[in-house]
Amino acid sequence: MAMRTDEPARITLLQRERPLRPDLFLVIPYMMLSGLGLLMVYTASAPRLEALGIPPDRDLKRQAVFVVIGFIVFGVVSMIDMRTIRGWVPAIYGSSLVLLVLVLSPLGEKVKGAQRWIDIGPFQFQPAELAKLAVVLGLASLLASAGSGPLRWDHVARAIVLVAIPAGLIFLQPDLGTMLVFGFMAIVMLFTSGATWRQLAFLSVSGVIGAVGLFQVGAIKEYQITRLTAFLDPAADLQGARYNQYQSEIAIGSGGFTGKGLFNGSQTNLRFVPEQSADFIFTAVGEQLGFIGSALVLALFGIIVWRILVAAVNAKDRFGRLVAVGVASLIAFHVFVNIGMTVRLMPVTGLPLPFMSAGGTVFIAMSAALGLAHSVWLRRSPVPGERAIE
Amino acid sequence: MRRPEWRWSDLRVLTVGFFLVAAWIALGVRVYQVQAVDAVEFAQRGFDQRIKHERIAAKRGTIYDREGVELAVSVVGADLVADPSLIDDPVAIASLLDPELDMDLDTLTERLGRDGRYALLGSALRPEAVDRIEQIIDDNDIVGLTLVPRPVRVYPSGRLAANVLGLTRLDDGSGLEGLEAGLDDVLVGKDGTRIVERDPGGRAIPQGQFLVEPARPGSDVVTTIDRQIQFIAESAITEAVERTGANWGTVVVLIPQTGEILAMASAPGFDPNDRRTLDPDAIANRAIAEVYEPGSTLKVITIAGALEEGLVSPGTAIDVPQRIEIGPKEYSDPSRHAPSMTVADIVRKSSNVGTIELQQLLGNERQYAYLDAFGLGRASSIDFPGERPGTLEHVSDWCPSTCGPSAAIGYGVGVTPLQMASVFATIANDGEWIEPHVVAEIVDADGDTIVTEPRRRRVLSAETARQMRQMLEGVVAGGTGYRAAIDGFSVGGKTGTAEKYLPEEGIYSTEDRMASFVGMAPIDRPRIVVAVVLDSPSGTLDDGTELKFGGASAAPVFAVVAEATLNELGVSPDLPTDTDG
Repeated sequence: MAMRTDEPARITLLQRERPLRPDLFLVIPYMMLSGLGLLMVYTASAPRLEALGIPPDRDLKRQAVFVVIGFIVFGVVSMIDMRTIRGWVPAIYGSSLVLLVLVLSPLGEKVKGAQRWIDIGPFQFQPAELAKLAVVLGLASLLASAGSGPLRWDHVARAIVLVAIPAGLIFLQPDLGTMLVFGFMAIVMLFTSGATWRQLAFLSVSGVIGAVGLFQVGAIKEYQITRLTAFLDPAADLQGARYNQYQSEIAIGSGGFTGKGLFNGSQTNLRFVPEQSADFIFTAVGEQLGFIGSALVLALFGIIVWRILVAAVNAKDRFGRLVAVGVASLIAFHVFVNIGMTVRLMPVTGLPLPFMSAGGTVFIAMSAALGLAHSVWLRRSPVPGERAIE
Repeated sequence: MRRPEWRWSDLRVLTVGFFLVAAWIALGVRVYQVQAVDAVEFAQRGFDQRIKHERIAAKRGTIYDREGVELAVSVVGADLVADPSLIDDPVAIASLLDPELDMDLDTLTERLGRDGRYALLGSALRPEAVDRIEQIIDDNDIVGLTLVPRPVRVYPSGRLAANVLGLTRLDDGSGLEGLEAGLDDVLVGKDGTRIVERDPGGRAIPQGQFLVEPARPGSDVVTTIDRQIQFIAESAITEAVERTGANWGTVVVLIPQTGEILAMASAPGFDPNDRRTLDPDAIANRAIAEVYEPGSTLKVITIAGALEEGLVSPGTAIDVPQRIEIGPKEYSDPSRHAPSMTVADIVRKSSNVGTIELQQLLGNERQYAYLDAFGLGRASSIDFPGERPGTLEHVSDWCPSTCGPSAAIGYGVGVTPLQMASVFATIANDGEWIEPHVVAEIVDADGDTIVTEPRRRRVLSAETARQMRQMLEGVVAGGTGYRAAIDGFSVGGKTGTAEKYLPEEGIYSTEDRMASFVGMAPIDRPRIVVAVVLDSPSGTLDDGTELKFGGASAAPVFAVVAEATLNELGVSPDLPTDTDG
């Protein structure tokens, strides 16, 4: 009974109803980036579509549908309590594994040597994007159950297994970029959940050994290594390994400080830049809107990541915090690698730019991820400065 | 009391944030570097790869006949190019395309199946072929073939006048043979340039800015060729070559008063629109490309010279033995004749001995002056690249005794069929030589017309020319050229049967002859001159006459061509016709 007398005060405090006010610092940058993305998809695709005699707004309309669906998904996920979501984690993780197996089956679509898509009517679904969410949720759930204090080795081992299964399936597609995303998220989430420096060092060393081993047995091809390292070599074959990146750099550089103006992105529009609506959408920003536009995009992403980390610090429980940290690392890694790729700071890995690159699955999955972080913020601890209990 | 733990955990999130801030700063710095520091250099590189100088091909001029009918015209055709890496079934696609292409099936299959991204399958395909190939590609959903547009030379009249017009090169469309080559500078025009913004595939983009220096089309050429007469001449010579088994034959039809070439036929001919069956030996324009020793037709120059110089008149009778020795050589007349002949008889019977006697009166110097004045030994400058000047050595290089007599009867002098036609045209035109020509006018892109006046030169007096014509009429009326007679017209001309020199052996052939007939009609004021030459005709006529003689093989061709030409030109008969009684 004595215990009970203690309890009510805390329970009432934590369960106190509070209005769910959206985090406008998160929502507005999200919507601005999505809108800018639509504009960029349109300006990058319209001239070519028009020249082909196809309605110039075909790609725009298609992406607009995804954006609307993504907004709805963001809103819906934001409304769901983290504890409810935690109950779904096994199902989400399990179904993403099933889809990753399915995409390798004859149901999957092979494009340019990689089997990454499943056709659903007129649309193509990329299971890897869902897998990113599943890994965030799975790791968060696993590590949240580890309790406070330094992480135990068995949790590290279980975390490795949890990431390794989808990573292995994705390796078979192959999709190197997504594997790197998994690795980065795993390190960040393990670090946040109290992994010791020794554990982190062990993970790094075994990761390097694993990569070298895969190369030695021939599972990683020479050209993949070439593509990853070409950006370091300014003299690399500009018509070959470095062509895409070189063209991207020219497009962004030729935008200058203030840009060439909308629809004047001749480098992007003329298809010197490959995949200009998808992975290389940032070149459209850089060329047409210049450094001002590039800086705006960087700032908006910076604000989003900052808000997610703030949500993580204010999370009501350990699961929510880990989910938020996972989502922050997911988005930050994509942004850094993607923009870094277009300005030759990073190798070309084929990771899209969240909220901007054309593509349905990635936009909806990223919106859902952002929704998770937003949900964490909406149900943060009601008392300023007060933190969740374990 | 839990605070320290939270702080420890927050610290880790903060650390993550710290790293991310560092990453963002790195991105920002790099973007700034590209867009602000190095921006100008990148912009220049982009500009360099977008901008391309493009050639705008000038349209090649059209060649017309004298009525303005197109004989050679440039249209938009295409090259057929394949990307073999996209071709899934080379054998099947090769067999589909084979009927439309010049390439043989094996080469086609090999090219479609080779490694690489480029294979040229067909060059300068004509519009009809392009349409059919497009149909084949559509019907069979073939991937990996493309038709690259380009101008293609087309000859709407096919074989007609092909040897005159010649050919263009398949690769760059420039002139290769015939008028196409001779007038290439005129026909070719001037290519324009265009500065284009292009995409990586090299395609010009519609909205890209460009400066244009327009192409200047080539000039059009109107020829003096009459399609009807050309057709008549070609039919007649082709038939004669086939019938007599001659190596080749040629007919030239001239208007003597203007020097205009109405027809210039060669046999064998060729179809300029079908390169698959093209025989390189059939391309030559024989009328200007062949140099031969004319034999008796050349006698008219020496005889005309003797008349012009007042040494003899047509009625002058001279003793003509059956044979005559000059220096080491003996010249003889093949057929028996009376010991005394008039000059007219000498022409009519084509007496070698008589002609040589007249040459002896004239002398080498004056004989050479007449040969030269008639235009021998010089190209007649009618814009043909293949035109040969013939051979006429200067009199100072002549052997003292026999060169003159040999030249008098048509040996030791090389002429082209066109030159022989021109010699007779001079006689027909009252003694005035007019440069024969095939280009009537050149019309440039602005519509300005250039007409080149042919050169003219008096060679004989009108009276001498008239006397010559009357004697030549005798050749047809009662001499060696009787098979050249035309019903209703007075015809004059001269047969020629020259032993063919065999350069390899250095001797004259005992069998092969250069058989010729050059004539004109009607005789008082000739409207046309027709020259016919056959190389080594053989066989016999029904009456046993050997076809190797000009009178037997060439004279009938003259009759056919001259009669049809006179009809075509609407010339009224100057003699009562047979049907009139």
